[in-house]
Amino acid sequence: MTTLASTAHLPVGERIKRIVLPAVPFVLLLAVWGSAKFVFDIPRGILPDVISVFRVPFTLTDQYLAHTIASVQRLLLGFAVAAVSGLLVGLGAGLSRRFAEFIGPLSTFMNAISGIAWIPLAIAWFGIGTPMVVFIIWNSAFFLVLGNTILGVRLVPRVLEQGLFTLGASRFDVIRHVIFPGAMPHIVAGLRSGLGFGWRAVIAAELVGATVGLGQWIFIAQEFRRTDIIIAGAFTIGAIGLLTDRGILAPLERRTVERWGMAGRAT
Amino acid sequence: MKPDDVAKGRSAVGSEAGTAALHAAAVPGAVTRVARAGATLRPAAPFLIALIIWWGAWALLRPPDIILVPPNKVFSALLDLVRQGLLDAFIKVSLERLARGVLVGILIGVPVGWLLGLNEDVSRAAEPILRFFNAVSGIAWLPLMILWFGFSERTISAIIVYTMAFPVIFNTMLGVSTIPNRLPNACRTLGAGSLRIIKDVYVPGSFPSVMTGFRLGIGYGWRALIAGEFVVGGGGLGFLIFNARTQGNIAEVMGGMIVLGLLWLMIDRLILSSVEQNIIGRWGLMRT
Repeated sequence: MTTLASTAHLPVGERIKRIVLPAVPFVLLLAVWGSAKFVFDIPRGILPDVISVFRVPFTLTDQYLAHTIASVQRLLLGFAVAAVSGLLVGLGAGLSRRFAEFIGPLSTFMNAISGIAWIPLAIAWFGIGTPMVVFIIWNSAFFLVLGNTILGVRLVPRVLEQGLFTLGASRFDVIRHVIFPGAMPHIVAGLRSGLGFGWRAVIAAELVGATVGLGQWIFIAQEFRRTDIIIAGAFTIGAIGLLTDRGILAPLERRTVERWGMAGRAT
Repeated sequence: MKPDDVAKGRSAVGSEAGTAALHAAAVPGAVTRVARAGATLRPAAPFLIALIIWWGAWALLRPPDIILVPPNKVFSALLDLVRQGLLDAFIKVSLERLARGVLVGILIGVPVGWLLGLNEDVSRAAEPILRFFNAVSGIAWLPLMILWFGFSERTISAIIVYTMAFPVIFNTMLGVSTIPNRLPNACRTLGAGSLRIIKDVYVPGSFPSVMTGFRLGIGYGWRALIAGEFVVGGGGLGFLIFNARTQGNIAEVMGGMIVLGLLWLMIDRLILSSVEQNIIGRWGLMRT
């Protein structure tokens, strides 16, 4: 991330470039969208006015807020449960390599069907609504956290563990000072991708199995051909995804990776 | 020295790194071969226990058939689907959709990624907007795609291509832009042309990262496909399990999920990781 402070030493031209360049595609997109609508006379049921999209949060404030809050609440609840349970089982994996190796294949398989594929079964179990959506988020994130924790535990070099044992450390010391910190970057990476998959799964789950939430809102809007609501909703979904990832989990990942002295990874 | 020699020198260094990596890999490989008999059974153990828990939970609670069915019912539901010829038809539909979407996604993603990777100004301009649209998941565009293309194949293809393109673009860009400048520069000093540099430096150098992009993209695309099949229908495994649920046929839902999981593991493990390891191993770019 480039901050304003870090660009202060750069020449003026370069500084302007940094601000102007990223704005160009957005301006171009809006220009093409606006002019295409004007030139080809595209009906509202296919493409809305640019302005009407940005007006949605202000004209339909109550609905907009209700649906957004419903989705975000579900995401936070499901993700919190997934993080805690994933870490607890992950701790189990940390306590015993044998346990980690034992549940490894099962966790890999469950991860392969996690999230969206569970939606029909979750509807059968919980009906339509928040518990179903929360279950789907938990399901998406839990197996990613667990799988990554197991991977992290396996990748901790045995030499470090044995070294501590030689020096008289207890099993608890080794877990606390070697295995858990060693696996931490992977755990955080698992949390991060869990949140990414989880948010996508929320939208999919709401499309087909909820009465409120952004996914449901844009799906209903399709029946009324309200393209302005659809695009406003999609942009909101993107903004929330970007905020939670770039704002919370990417910095957390970076800090963890740096703290434990691991080589930087691509974000 | 001609560029040929440079290329050879590079590949010699590469193969050294490659053999080192192979040696490192050979140790656990040998261990598995020795303990193969035990090792084939061990990964099956957690699945057996999961089956027992599943069956035990069913036997204890005796839930109605629209909530949970025992494993044997799922198995016979799958057998029925195979006998009716529906399962392979649905698998074929889903895989064809995935393949089509993935192909177009790669055809769009790789060139765009290259363009962004080679030109810093372009990448600086394009990255924020790409990051933003990547965050708007393909699934969120389903309603709009339905308005544009109806409940059709094109709607499903559109969201797979959309979902697939971003990870491919980002990772191709990363792969191309992280190649140290001295490599193409060294080749250029030795008289290599642009084509040669692209072929011998950029393509192999960016390959591991491009493959990571493919894997990620196909993973996201697979989920987008399932969601698309829920909503759009028209056959496919997503349609199978969604439709089975509305009919209250939980055995078919669970059977379909198992097939989805197995299919995904096969796609991910057999095709992608073997291609990745073969080529990366050969080119001495082993990364762990």
